[in-house]
Amino acid sequence: MIDRLTAALARSRAAYTEIRVERTWSTAVTFRGRRLESATASEDQGGFVRALHAGGGWGVASFTSLDRLEAMVARAGELSRAVPVDPPIRLADVPPHQADALLDLDGDVRGQPIAEKKRLLEAYNGVMLGVSDRIVDTLAVYRDEVSEYWYVNSQGTRLHELRPEVTLSGTAVARRDGTIEKGLESIGLRRGWNSVQDKAAGFREVAERAVQLLDAPMVKGGTYPVILDPELAGVFIHEAFGHLSEADFVYENPQAREMMTLGRRFGKPVLNVGDNGAASGLRGTLPFDDEGTPTQDTALIEDGILVGRLHSRETAAAMGERPTGNARAISFRHPPIVRMTNTYIAGAPGGGSFEDLIGDVKLGVYACGAFGGQTMLENFSFTAAYGRMIRDGRVAELVKDVVLAGNLFQTLDRIDHIGADFRWNQMGGGCGKAGQYPLPVTEGAPHVRIEEALVGGEVGKA
Amino acid sequence: MIARLVDLARRRADGGADGLWRRFERTTVAFEWGRLKSAGTTEEAGANLRVRHRGRVGVAGTTAVGGDDVGAQHAAPLLERALASAELGEALDLEFPGPPSPPATLPTVTTFFDRAANASLVDLIGIGRSLLARLEREGCRVNVAIEREVTATRVANSAGAAGEYRGTGFGVSADVWRIAGDDVLVVSDAFEGADLPSNEALAALIASINARLDHALRVVAAPEGALPVVFTPAGLSALMLPVTQALSGKAVLQGISPLEAKVGEQVFDPRFSLTDDPLRGGRIASRPLDDECVPSRTLALVEGGVVQRFIYDLETAARAKTRSTGNGQRGIFGKPVPGYTNIVLNHVGAVNDVGAQHAAPLQLGGGLLGDIRDGLLVDELIGVGQGNVTGGAFSHPVGLAYRIERGVITGRVKDAAVAGNAYELWKQVGGFGDDARWTGSRWAPSVRFEGVSVARR
Repeated sequence: MIDRLTAALARSRAAYTEIRVERTWSTAVTFRGRRLESATASEDQGGFVRALHAGGGWGVASFTSLDRLEAMVARAGELSRAVPVDPPIRLADVPPHQADALLDLDGDVRGQPIAEKKRLLEAYNGVMLGVSDRIVDTLAVYRDEVSEYWYVNSQGTRLHELRPEVTLSGTAVARRDGTIEKGLESIGLRRGWNSVQDKAAGFREVAERAVQLLDAPMVKGGTYPVILDPELAGVFIHEAFGHLSEADFVYENPQAREMMTLGRRFGKPVLNVGDNGAASGLRGTLPFDDEGTPTQDTALIEDGILVGRLHSRETAAAMGERPTGNARAISFRHPPIVRMTNTYIAGAPGGGSFEDLIGDVKLGVYACGAFGGQTMLENFSFTAAYGRMIRDGRVAELVKDVVLAGNLFQTLDRIDHIGADFRWNQMGGGCGKAGQYPLPVTEGAPHVRIEEALVGGEVGKA
Repeated sequence: MIARLVDLARRRADGGADGLWRRFERTTVAFEWGRLKSAGTTEEAGANLRVRHRGRVGVAGTTAVGGDDVGAQHAAPLLERALASAELGEALDLEFPGPPSPPATLPTVTTFFDRAANASLVDLIGIGRSLLARLEREGCRVNVAIEREVTATRVANSAGAAGEYRGTGFGVSADVWRIAGDDVLVVSDAFEGADLPSNEALAALIASINARLDHALRVVAAPEGALPVVFTPAGLSALMLPVTQALSGKAVLQGISPLEAKVGEQVFDPRFSLTDDPLRGGRIASRPLDDECVPSRTLALVEGGVVQRFIYDLETAARAKTRSTGNGQRGIFGKPVPGYTNIVLNHVGAVNDVGAQHAAPLQLGGGLLGDIRDGLLVDELIGVGQGNVTGGAFSHPVGLAYRIERGVITGRVKDAAVAGNAYELWKQVGGFGDDARWTGSRWAPSVRFEGVSVARR
């Protein structure tokens, strides 16, 4: 395949050309309640070409029929020529790489019959259903894929990769009369069949919690010290801050650039944030991004100060900074754009444990897990899976409908205590941007304390 | 042809088969932060096959179909995967619909427009440039994207039903960004249709963005209390989503639809009607038959506030022991699901020209603001779709909203949240605006509700 792609490259008349080809085998199994909703196997394949003529914009072509490869290389070149751009697009230098990176398949999912996958999921689903007769509905999804990936560009980079992925998710719905509560388990790994065995405990826990939430009161809306668990803290830093550090947001927008000036204080000295596409064995981890740039650990906030951002080759050149290996595409259907990989709030050495964070909190909220979150620029809204009140330095009763809403800048600045208990949250789902969803990413954080945040269990109840 | 694939499948699957083949070509032009940045093309084709064997149903999809057809070398592995899926699949009395008897032609709906299909890259760039020129203003940055799609769809089943059609789609979207200090403001709008946008449609898009931007430059304090709130056609999503979810046969089967036992009952304001209309000319979601060979028809879901029916595809219909309403939607991968086509919100007294992008020239608030002493105009909410949507309760911070004082818009409100229950609010509507328009595949005017909870943050 590499030879075929290299030959096609050689015929391109553009100043710069790159080709990606992917072939993906995937299976998916879904249970709803006791019913198997579907069990399917799919094969998806296609290619992507991007070309740049001197003085031209990007010419882009994607296709499912590989017979069209040569024609699409030519087409991408024509498209680039058709869109004059001034000043011209420049790409930051990246030394050419040649690599054959076969990631650990950890029990190749392609070797397992789909009946085995159904059996595994049925067992986890059964664990949720078996928790209580209050569990009236479940949704359990198993999905796996192995993607074979080829990348070449006209500057000499030649890559071949085999990328596995497996995700498991479970939703347990508990109901009593008109009250409905849910629990959500989600596991996502860049690994294979072996890694999703023995996962019943998590499914049991979320179903049990859904039942407990039936009796839990709604959190009383107001302003509290809030401790985020590592899962919610990770989602928060990804959604509320991470997207602003993607350079395509700022590189050609002077006002945005000003807002995100390096050196600006974003938080107290305890705050350290980064994005690490080279971290070992995580879902957002890959040796190279989709422009052939090696991934790396990029510091974004150091001791509370903005020190870096995430780049593609184009944004790095435009801003006179170095590429960070963050140009990613969800598939051959899309161009690479600036994306996060594994984004984290670093644990504070000496930051102590969860107990240390709540010790001096008289009345606060411990917000755990994430049902969802949305940010609109500097405003965000996150729904925690559940919460617990903190009273006199101790964890007290379970509460529900914990919604955190606020302004990013104010909230980051109010993070006053960060634990040492860092962990990566290996969840499924993914990140969405510019129509590209779901992109595999991971988030990580320790317990994080916000000295004051608005909790809206009753947001809007005037 | 997809018919040949289905025929091949029929010989192996004792309960029959159906399939869909779809091909599309898309051309895109993107202007990023005020300048032309890229042009792209996409060619994609794929097939989805469903079989019923020994009473069980299985599905498989592939993009490995070769050129304009599903070649024999691709058909065989696809069929094997569908049969393997059926081995695990659930037992289901799925019946593939036969051809209409007596033989009848499919309903006519115009889905293909030569002007859209033949528009050149230069034409697309021209539309973008003119839009950009009319949207640029001091201190703001503009993104514009133009997209044109040409599709071909073929469906067939083992009972002898079949259909094919071509379609075009055209999308123009623009967003204007203004960042002042830490205040980030984005105002956007989009045109979506099967034909090229008319000059009037583009002018309306520009007017819509400019009007909302002008009013947003000034930030004012949020009001608080149980207030009259007007939701624009775009802002209406939080109130529409619970209703459309509850009207899906899938929600009924899951036992989570609050409308389950309400057919024939007055649940909504008597002026409120909702229709799913796949036969609306010039819309991207329109088609003569659905993805499971069921002929399209216009479907009244709510009439005069009374619930009429739910939407079904073949599978949910079989499980609910009813008939498909022609709402089967399938992609290349996965199995068909019930889905809406064009959702039309109509109300008594409406003068609708549902074919055009806008029914009337833009007037923010649709004429509903006049007698509001203090209230809110909501154009976008944050987090719609999160949480327990089907129950109808919602609580969202505003993304883009304006304060109304003594009948006029006085500025943008930033730190506010609105909350309520969609079912409670739809029982008694404060008023329907005269500004109905398409937002994606939904046709709706602005709608006013009284006593919506507004909180300050």
